[in-house]
Amino acid sequence: MKTLGIVFSNIYDDALGELTAMRTVASLPFAGRYRQVDFILSNMVNSGIIDIGIITKYNYKSLMDHLRTSQEWDLNRKNGGLLIIPPFSSGSTGVYKGKLEALLVAKSYIQEKTDCDYVIISDSTVLCNIDFRAIVEEHVESGCNLTLIADQGDSVDEKHSLVLCQDEKGTVTELLINHPRQENALAGMGMFVLSRDKLNEIIQDANARGYYHFERDFVQKQFHEGILSLHVHRFDGVVLRNNTIHAYYQNTMRLLEEEVRKGLFLTNAPIYTKVRDEVPTYYGLESKVENCLLADGCVVDGNVINSVIFRNVQIQENTFVLDSIVMQGTVIGEGAHLECVILDKNVRVSPGAVLIGTPLHPVIIKKGETV
Amino acid sequence: MTNMKKECIAMLLAGGQGSRLMVLTENMAKPAVPFGGKYRIIDFPLSNCVNSGIDTVGILTQYQPLELNEYVGNGQPWDLNRNLGGVHILPPYLKSRDSQWYKGTANAIYQNIHFIERYNPEHVLILSGDHIYKMDYRKMLHFHKSNDADCTIAVIQVPLEEASRFGIMNTRDDHSIYQFEEKPLHPKSNKASMGVYIFKWPCLKEYLIADYNNPQSDNDFGKNIIPTMLEDGHKLFAYSFEGYWKDVGTINSLWEANMDMLSDPPKLNLRDSQFRIYSRNYAMPSSFISETAATDNCFIAEGCEVKGIVVNSILSTGCTVEENAVVENSVIMPNTVIGRNAIIKYAIIGEECHIFPNAKVGDDPKFYEASEWGISVVGKGKTIQQNALIEPGKII
Repeated sequence: MKTLGIVFSNIYDDALGELTAMRTVASLPFAGRYRQVDFILSNMVNSGIIDIGIITKYNYKSLMDHLRTSQEWDLNRKNGGLLIIPPFSSGSTGVYKGKLEALLVAKSYIQEKTDCDYVIISDSTVLCNIDFRAIVEEHVESGCNLTLIADQGDSVDEKHSLVLCQDEKGTVTELLINHPRQENALAGMGMFVLSRDKLNEIIQDANARGYYHFERDFVQKQFHEGILSLHVHRFDGVVLRNNTIHAYYQNTMRLLEEEVRKGLFLTNAPIYTKVRDEVPTYYGLESKVENCLLADGCVVDGNVINSVIFRNVQIQENTFVLDSIVMQGTVIGEGAHLECVILDKNVRVSPGAVLIGTPLHPVIIKKGETV
Repeated sequence: MTNMKKECIAMLLAGGQGSRLMVLTENMAKPAVPFGGKYRIIDFPLSNCVNSGIDTVGILTQYQPLELNEYVGNGQPWDLNRNLGGVHILPPYLKSRDSQWYKGTANAIYQNIHFIERYNPEHVLILSGDHIYKMDYRKMLHFHKSNDADCTIAVIQVPLEEASRFGIMNTRDDHSIYQFEEKPLHPKSNKASMGVYIFKWPCLKEYLIADYNNPQSDNDFGKNIIPTMLEDGHKLFAYSFEGYWKDVGTINSLWEANMDMLSDPPKLNLRDSQFRIYSRNYAMPSSFISETAATDNCFIAEGCEVKGIVVNSILSTGCTVEENAVVENSVIMPNTVIGRNAIIKYAIIGEECHIFPNAKVGDDPKFYEASEWGISVVGKGKTIQQNALIEPGKII
């Protein structure tokens, strides 16, 4: 059973504010050395999927730069491999109104993949380590039109893009969109399995009727009309939904929990990313590092506590970096004091600078700025 | 056929057993030995080639080549996966007339004359796979060409008292060589050969064939080819290299070279965005340093979980240091686990080892007579039992 992967790179860009001002959510850096898209791509590759299209519309330079020949994901194939699908119309810029609209640009790509029987479509903001092979088999056996991959979601009351209300037997009774999750309800993970034929049909239909929202105009509508049979695959591993800046910050901090790291980074299913050839990180004589995640290429001479540090970051003497996220290439000058801060790439923090945010409202410094 | 002419190609001698590295080369060729947290020795000559604009490299393998072959692969990590040229692994192979293993360094190149001829090069750079250094070979090639030399040998100044351990070049004022002495008892100069040669290819080819036909020859560059070329009055020059260079052919020198990354200022500085050392990377997450950890003056590569104390040490990719474990003045190679309360001092721990809790490997030289102390070494994949004691200088 050959399966095609379709990944959305721009959906939800708006919710991540400054962090996605110049990049897609797919290329948002995460966990010290990754971009968000690495997780879904690696999951697909580790599940034997080698035909993958990434639909993108704007700000995709950073994504293309990251993926290049896609050699790191083993997707530089003669047959199949990775295709970045940019917009082909000269129409409006900005985000796609929804995934159905985005799928329209991938129409011919999906139609041409005649050797693929099934399709997994996925967001790039929900991070987990998942094996799709068994799920596709499960989908086929179920005989249903669509499989929703869902988990128990974040805390009750937290809004989820798709909420699956169930009865006592676990049968889905109602689907809610952008809604707080009640007890016993499951939360969609933005990952769907369906046959390629069905997907083609949906795209045609959506085009004819001006539908654009995949969950609302297709999944919810047809389910409630009783014409869509649903199968739910419940995933019980670690799931991080980076849908908002707050969630991005919280989920980064959760990486400091051993359980979360073990759930995301499996030795038999690695997460691949672009190689940078940095030297290992140097910890100086005066450095103090506690409860932190650090990538390669850093020089740490200061104090770093409860933080995630990306590649090639310099943390100079007598600095304090607490509860913060420091992205690639940033330099933190002597004596600076940072708490609850997200420093984007290549930020310069002047010596002695003080930046203090709160976990609910971390201070964000944009890419390349000097503070 | 496309014209594949290259001005200069490199031939990397990677077939040596490296027996002085003991257990570390039990199952792999010396160039595949891990170094500096995320590298292998061969990354240095390969990266030097790429950083010098040399895009064609033949790697001559013979001893335990599997690990090395897999590591080099198609050469992509070094940008050596080229349509014309790139990296080629060259093991000895059956030929129609006669077949044999590589008998010496010169014989290894002799057996690959056909490979070199495919590129019709003007010059051939001969390298070895057991040195740690960053060198722009372009400068040496420029020197070689401007002297119209038949052979140029890279030399590094060593302390005169140590010169008797090296092959020494005695030169005139214009850097031309008048004498080559292998490990002289009374050295006349401190210019030690770095094992890096550039030859005019037509000249080298002639000497390789003559050397092959001489049954008395050891088929070695240092012992045979270079002395014969000197005798015959060819133009040989010494190119003085300034910078870090270390032969890591022994346990002590391998340990020292790793420690040279930690000196202040570092004798070996690998943090150089203009001259990167490339290596094959494995998909490892960022390293986690817990609140119980202490990390002072150390390099820690990705994929580590550190909960213990790491001081003056190199911790390679994918290692775990559990609570209260102590790693001091040591080199821990990739994917090794150091258990709780274990103490590692002045040691090299090979790849994929498991040091169980409370074990002790090596010790500080200050507690020992010089003759009774040495670096302790644990070979690849070994297990050190709980509470075991591995004394200084012991090699397991």
